[in-house]
Amino acid sequence: MWVLTVMLVVVIVLYLLEALAIRSYTASPKPDSGQLCRTFPAISILKPLKGLEDCLFDNLESFCNLDYPVYEVIFTLQDQNDPAYKVARKIKDKYPDKGISIVIDHCDAGLNPKVNNLIPAYKIAKHGLILISDSNVRVEKDYLADISRHMDDPSVGLVSNIIRGVSGRSFGAVMENLHLNSFVASSVCVLDKYLDMPCVVGKSMLMTKEDLEAIGGFTGVKDFLAEDYIIGQRIHALGKKVILSNHLINNVNEYWGLSRFINRHTRWGKLRWQIGGAKYLSELFTNAVFMAFILLLIMPVSTASVSFLAAVSLLKIAHDMYIGSRLRAGMSPLLYLLSPVKDLIIGFIWFVPIFSSTVNWRGNRYAIGKGSALSPLPDNGLWLLIYRLLKD
Amino acid sequence: MLLCDFHIHTTYSDGSVELRKAIDIFGQAGFDAIAITDHVVSGDNSFGKLAHRFKYSVTANNFNQYMSHIKEEAKRAYDKYGMLVIAGVEITKNRLSVNDSAHILIVDVKEFIPACLSYEEIFLEAKSQKALIIACHPHYMSGTGDRDTLFLWNNRGKYARYIDAWEIANRDDVFNVVSLGKYPHIANSDFHKPKHLFSWKTLLNCVNDIDSIKQCIRHNKGVAITLFRN
Repeated sequence: MWVLTVMLVVVIVLYLLEALAIRSYTASPKPDSGQLCRTFPAISILKPLKGLEDCLFDNLESFCNLDYPVYEVIFTLQDQNDPAYKVARKIKDKYPDKGISIVIDHCDAGLNPKVNNLIPAYKIAKHGLILISDSNVRVEKDYLADISRHMDDPSVGLVSNIIRGVSGRSFGAVMENLHLNSFVASSVCVLDKYLDMPCVVGKSMLMTKEDLEAIGGFTGVKDFLAEDYIIGQRIHALGKKVILSNHLINNVNEYWGLSRFINRHTRWGKLRWQIGGAKYLSELFTNAVFMAFILLLIMPVSTASVSFLAAVSLLKIAHDMYIGSRLRAGMSPLLYLLSPVKDLIIGFIWFVPIFSSTVNWRGNRYAIGKGSALSPLPDNGLWLLIYRLLKD
Repeated sequence: MLLCDFHIHTTYSDGSVELRKAIDIFGQAGFDAIAITDHVVSGDNSFGKLAHRFKYSVTANNFNQYMSHIKEEAKRAYDKYGMLVIAGVEITKNRLSVNDSAHILIVDVKEFIPACLSYEEIFLEAKSQKALIIACHPHYMSGTGDRDTLFLWNNRGKYARYIDAWEIANRDDVFNVVSLGKYPHIANSDFHKPKHLFSWKTLLNCVNDIDSIKQCIRHNKGVAITLFRN
């Protein structure tokens, strides 16, 4: 009984630390960018597109209405037949004076399809500041003005943002948003605040061309799955600061299926396992709901073990509700009742990277190695077996 | 080429998403022209009575509201997405036998057409409104729970002259009998849920206005179909 009590105390402390980290980022007032005496350096926004993300039109349009003096938007695709092309075309036609370019180039310089998409866009980027922004991101009008203020400090090399999942209408999308608004947001904040470990999420990355080129440009990360993390690490290694901006950006996930949620977090899990190694184990132990569930399975069912699972689940629901409210995620309070279910699913997904190092990303299959380095994976069957034997 | 879908249901009948959201789903995906075609169910049998009871049908009572709502949303869709939204209905004649059942799209409908009228009366009324008449899923489907509607195909000798186009593909099904018979064709999603966005669609090589679209489909020149996948 006392073991369970100690575990419960640990869970409470853990949740409190996460909540405090989130609070510290979301409590600080947003500066009024219009009143700051500062320069507004011109920015090139690179938007790699592949397929129809939920609400793609609105997401792209939000980048055409930013309160910022000089910026360009470059939509970049691998294929004119991509359904996102038509949406990009409509946005360009709707905003003919907004400096929008569309690049279509089947670049196959590397194995990371997102980096392959970015390389041609980078070649035509006109400005000294580069912003990489995913297509499932929607931003507010003051986004550029707010994040670019960090670049006034010459010691800053990269600015990334806290993301929040919004607009979930299907079960898979709600799972995704719950996870983004609890585990992902709190992990990024905890790592940055308490451990001084830059953890860059590639949905929004602002940096100078100079720094990007100093770390080898996009070509230097073309064969890594976690190109965002590697860019962050390398810029940090240059002696530059990697800043986590408190400007929240929306990751729109509206109609995801459960399989997409599972596929993404299996891939992200493999990535963290390859990058973090033993640190990945901590994720399992900090998934209190899953641990309580496992205890219930391996221990004789008792009032204590059932109560422990119930208490941990209630704590988790309260924790996620608090974080969601700090992030202003706009989720219905009832949906947080699904948080323990989401944690159970994530708990089972956690084991997959231990046994499998292959990923299927945007239609491509890869083997993922140390530091998230990608290797091409032959098709399944005998070749795959041979490949694995040789690789090991 | 215009990316089009002329067979979309909303919560005005048995669709799962509201009119505004359905329009947004297509607008966000870059479509150029769509038709909202909620069911008008024939109330002269037990199927129809159930549909009316559970509000799975546009009726004479709410038709004006349906039309004005589509008109309002069409303006918004055109301003925001440059997408044309056309009002339509799906005349739904369900019978016990699939051989006696038929669904007919009336695209660019102006006045309410009761589904209990005879086929000739329906076609003539649609013609008088200068609407497009499209035979929906006219042959055997892949059995995903939808009932087949074979009446028009079985009686094509009698009714083909009234029909402007036949659905050669509906959602994931393809009806090769339509191409073998060299009938004018289009392809639609029969959208009921967001996942149905990714299905067969029509591409039209014409100007994006209602008259040009109707003419393009009637003449069946510059009409292509595409399997729209993500």
